[in-house]
Amino acid sequence: MNIAGIGIVSARGRGVAALEHALEQGWVPPVEVEARGVACGKVSVYPVTADTLGDKVVLAKARRADRFIRMSVLAAADAVQDSGIGASLDKTRMGIILATALGPHVTTFSFLDGILDFGDAAVSPTAFSHSVHNAAASYIAMTLEVRGPTLTVTHFDFAFHQAVLLAQTLLNDGRCDSVLVGAVDELGAVMQSVCGQMLKPAADGRIKPFAFSTTPESVPGEGAAFFLMTRDTAGVGYGLLEVIEDLPVPSSGGSLQILDACGMARDESAYLAAVMPGISVAAYAPLFGSLLIGSALNAAAAALMMKKQKIYVSPVQENPHGLMICQETKPAPLRDVYCTRLDCVGRRLTLHLGSASLLE
Amino acid sequence: MAAQKILITGMGVVSAAGMTIPETLTGFAAGIRNLGQTSVSLSPLNLPVFEVVSPLRGSTRASSRTLQLAFHALDEALSNAGLSYDLSGLRVGVCMGTTVASQLNDMDFYTAYRKSGKAPLAPVETFLKSNLATAISREVKARGPCITVVNACSSSADALGVALGWLRNGFCDVAIAGGADELSRIPVCGFSSLSVFSPEPCRPYDRDRQGLNLGEAAGILILEPESIARRRGVNSTMFVGGYGAACDAHHLTAPRPDGSGLETAIRISLIEAGVQSAEISFVNAHGTATRDNDKVEGTVLARLFGEGIKVISTKGFTGHTLGAAGAIEAVFTALALREGWIPASPGFENKDDEIPIGAVREKSGLTGRYALSTSLAFGGNNAAVVIGRTE
Repeated sequence: MNIAGIGIVSARGRGVAALEHALEQGWVPPVEVEARGVACGKVSVYPVTADTLGDKVVLAKARRADRFIRMSVLAAADAVQDSGIGASLDKTRMGIILATALGPHVTTFSFLDGILDFGDAAVSPTAFSHSVHNAAASYIAMTLEVRGPTLTVTHFDFAFHQAVLLAQTLLNDGRCDSVLVGAVDELGAVMQSVCGQMLKPAADGRIKPFAFSTTPESVPGEGAAFFLMTRDTAGVGYGLLEVIEDLPVPSSGGSLQILDACGMARDESAYLAAVMPGISVAAYAPLFGSLLIGSALNAAAAALMMKKQKIYVSPVQENPHGLMICQETKPAPLRDVYCTRLDCVGRRLTLHLGSASLLE
Repeated sequence: MAAQKILITGMGVVSAAGMTIPETLTGFAAGIRNLGQTSVSLSPLNLPVFEVVSPLRGSTRASSRTLQLAFHALDEALSNAGLSYDLSGLRVGVCMGTTVASQLNDMDFYTAYRKSGKAPLAPVETFLKSNLATAISREVKARGPCITVVNACSSSADALGVALGWLRNGFCDVAIAGGADELSRIPVCGFSSLSVFSPEPCRPYDRDRQGLNLGEAAGILILEPESIARRRGVNSTMFVGGYGAACDAHHLTAPRPDGSGLETAIRISLIEAGVQSAEISFVNAHGTATRDNDKVEGTVLARLFGEGIKVISTKGFTGHTLGAAGAIEAVFTALALREGWIPASPGFENKDDEIPIGAVREKSGLTGRYALSTSLAFGGNNAAVVIGRTE
């Protein structure tokens, strides 16, 4: 599948330019917010700012929508815009696949507030309809007038990978000519409290992806990344995307591995065995924060690198295992980028981005 | 090369209509509707619901009631398919649909958070173990793709479509596909806020219908290409012929008035199955018994199949089981084709002049080899599944 365009919303802003700026700029300190039930009363997080979600034009049909929906719509709309082929797309032949681990939990809890505060018979129908997982995909469809298959899927470990696999079937089977596939997760007050208790906070605000710790450190984040996928090499040429289970022996030049280690797993020690030999390795979770759908954000970074033929410095360099970590931002001929993620029991899936020239 | 058939080699179902397939068929034939009132623990709203009241087989293995329902149906489906709970020798994909099980909407958890300011972690741990597809995948030691579809009321119809795609693309050899949902206070309150509940047993397609009843259920289908089934020494006359999906892009909770999204989904499913509309012997309609759904759906069905098409809504037996609806209705559709009859559509008495078709009033024999199951959902999702019988 060809990546024709990407859209991203994160703590570092919105759009490809913001992504590029974040990769150039490197790590910045997270924000401290109050969190109920956490010993110190605060957690460090990477939130998406209200300004980032303030586009009234794109969000014209989502004026009453929550942050989860807004992040989704903006990232999806940006992916189409970024491709430069939006006007030529047949929207009846376009699909949407939205992956999420935790769904719109802030609105879910808001709906529960309604039940607890006003009783079962006096809750808000708007809060209910927006608390349903697929509301965001529906808003994307309404905003972009997409009439093809529209699916929302969940998985705690590999939501984005499974969504990409699904996009592949929609294109292969001829159900769609293009598919918007993306992942979204938000970070609300309850989840901040949960993360503050369940995860080990990064004392210095830095996620350490190469520590491969049995007690990894995290900085919870939120965001969305969408990819406009096509069968042929339309769009601006970010390369090809597929899901693979087994890592190949990489070619000696032009390959990079991105590890999705971000502190969300209870134990990240198995990542050490997943490092591909002989090629550079990077991890960009320290830019966006710890997310169960962080693979989508890393894949966006990988896509940008493929397009720019440029490797960006890995933002946190702590390297206790002596890996070949990307130490500087520099032009590089890239043919393959492997974004590898492990689940809590060590199962591995990898997003492989290949140069579009492979199709020629 | 013609695509090989994707056989249904096993089916399992549990709902208020029956704990097993034989029990369900007996209930259907007798027209039994096991409708009760909401228990006070579920919600103080005094509404009729279709609850599964008998003990579930999966109760010791599952961390949630939705999973209990799913495991109960899975037992029957695996048994029918001649499969065990250790499927590590096959590449098995698991795709399940749900609504309730996808949300951390535990009232006790949230009440405790509000009171103490500290989110209790035990319900979170339970939630993290309860992703429907992941839990089933883990239980059967599956090695293939795994995803939970959360497309509201079309979730498990879409799950069948996803599984179909996996099998046709060779991503797995066998797929466990279906859906499950438990009765929960959240949708009870939510649907009540939308004023779509019927105070009496629902009457899909009837002139005097007043809305839906909620229910709980699970339905599971074991799907595999003919070649894989043959290699396992398994045969089946039932298969999934085609799947279509399309979005209305119109409104969050109301169907597009012209029904064009549903029509597209149905047309795609027919084309994929290689079937003409005249070959469809009956439609197991979404038929929620809300004013809008039945009017739009009935108009589309009449447009595509003519006013003489046999239509049933099994929601009169099960209630609207949300994320489970598409799967259990696909199972019911396959059973009807296999058995050669459909029951009277429960609750239907008087034809609505605003709908060009009515539902069947009495148990009817079937002669055709194909049938259609439709699903409409929040968000404007439409899904259609063609089920076929080989002989």
